[in-house]
Amino acid sequence: MSFPEPLQKLIDEFSRFPGIGPKTAQRLSFFLLSRPREEAAALARAILEAKDKLFFCSLCGCLTEKDPCRYCSDPRRDQKLFCVVQEPRDVLRLEQTGHYHGLYHVLHGALSPLDGLGPEELRLPQLLQRLVEKEAEELIVATNPNVEGDATAAYIASLVKPLNIKVTRIAFGLPVGGDLEYADDLTLSRALEGRREM
Amino acid sequence: MAERSYKTDALVLSSRPLGEADRLIELLTWERGKLSAVARGARKTKSRLAAGVDLFTYGHYQLHRGRSLDLITGQEVKEHFTAFREDASLYPFGLFLAELAGRLVRSEEPAPETCRLLLEGWRLLCGKDLDLTGRMLLCRAFELKMMSSTGFRPHLENCLLCHAPETLYFSPSQGGLLCRRCAGGDAVRLSAGTAALARRLLQAPLEQVKMLRPLAQQLRELAAIAAAFRRYHFDIGELRSLQLIKLLNPPSR
Ligand SMILES: [Zn+2]
Ligand SMILES: [Zn+2]
Repeated sequence: MSFPEPLQKLIDEFSRFPGIGPKTAQRLSFFLLSRPREEAAALARAILEAKDKLFFCSLCGCLTEKDPCRYCSDPRRDQKLFCVVQEPRDVLRLEQTGHYHGLYHVLHGALSPLDGLGPEELRLPQLLQRLVEKEAEELIVATNPNVEGDATAAYIASLVKPLNIKVTRIAFGLPVGGDLEYADDLTLSRALEGRREM
Repeated sequence: MAERSYKTDALVLSSRPLGEADRLIELLTWERGKLSAVARGARKTKSRLAAGVDLFTYGHYQLHRGRSLDLITGQEVKEHFTAFREDASLYPFGLFLAELAGRLVRSEEPAPETCRLLLEGWRLLCGKDLDLTGRMLLCRAFELKMMSSTGFRPHLENCLLCHAPETLYFSPSQGGLLCRRCAGGDAVRLSAGTAALARRLLQAPLEQVKMLRPLAQQLRELAAIAAAFRRYHFDIGELRSLQLIKLLNPPSR
């Protein structure tokens, strides 16, 4: 069975998305085709606008439309408190809890040499520089509680502790393996509260 | 039609995010060698699969044969190697064993020897007995034994061409020691002490590495011939985990 070429192209594009199999891609495509042209145009515009206007903050690495981002440039945030996360979406998760008011550093991954991610790729030299410049007092490490996330946390602790900065690890109080982005607000708030010195 | 469900003991060689909330894991099994499987929902914090599908886990798994990939339907952790996640300098050593095992073992081919070696290697690394030299030696011993078990046992007893006992060279392409007269081609100098060390590492049980006290020079020679041998016979260039070992364990002055 083969689809008309423009349809097949649309299905192929949807199939690239995480968690979207060929079946779902077909469903999304047929849905889109059943809608008015304006809706399709609005979707296309939104995609391009997000793509064109958003980039990574040069200081913390989070997703932003201005540089430095709104967290880095907000003087009301605690300038002595830093939090390290793996992904830009983890920043949003922590913001949603309303329980964190410090600055961020986004690693864009975890130490994983087989994926080509080493200390340089995680922008750890930049993190150390910012911690020193701001005379930080505490660094919370909120990497995922799996092997790569934990090893990354241990490595960051070994770099930062000699600077006389307190390093803490958020306490998930949950079985290992789950990702931070899937923790609910209450769990995440508690994990922040219950962080332990490394 | 073969049984759709099966159970196996396995070691987790790698575990990476897949799609929305799944993990794609690579298992090393006794009976079936290497296999890839999907753990659905394993990145959700309340998943009952999460704890068993993390890298460096020894467990018992229930799987279901899928069309392309098998699905993990249940797991029971036998052993977690937690030291790898608590000590960043140790972490890449555990990765090195996993990476090498993953590269040398094939799918659907029984790999009992590799499983045994990997389990023992992870246990020894996570124990308290090994210093940095011991860890490096363990990697070399593991590598030599792995190569032997996959059919490329380096010839380390005497000159591989004329069997003269006095050897001064090692040829990666010919796979062993050479004497002065037979040396040629890609043969590189290898001191008698390093050759004896390599022999010992190949033959002795892994745990004996803690009793060896090699010179820094011997460790360097050993690393160089291991890399050349690996590159020639297995087409494996610089291992990523090895780069991280060097980065996180800078030589002390
Ligand atoms: Zn920023
Ligand atoms: Zn000879």
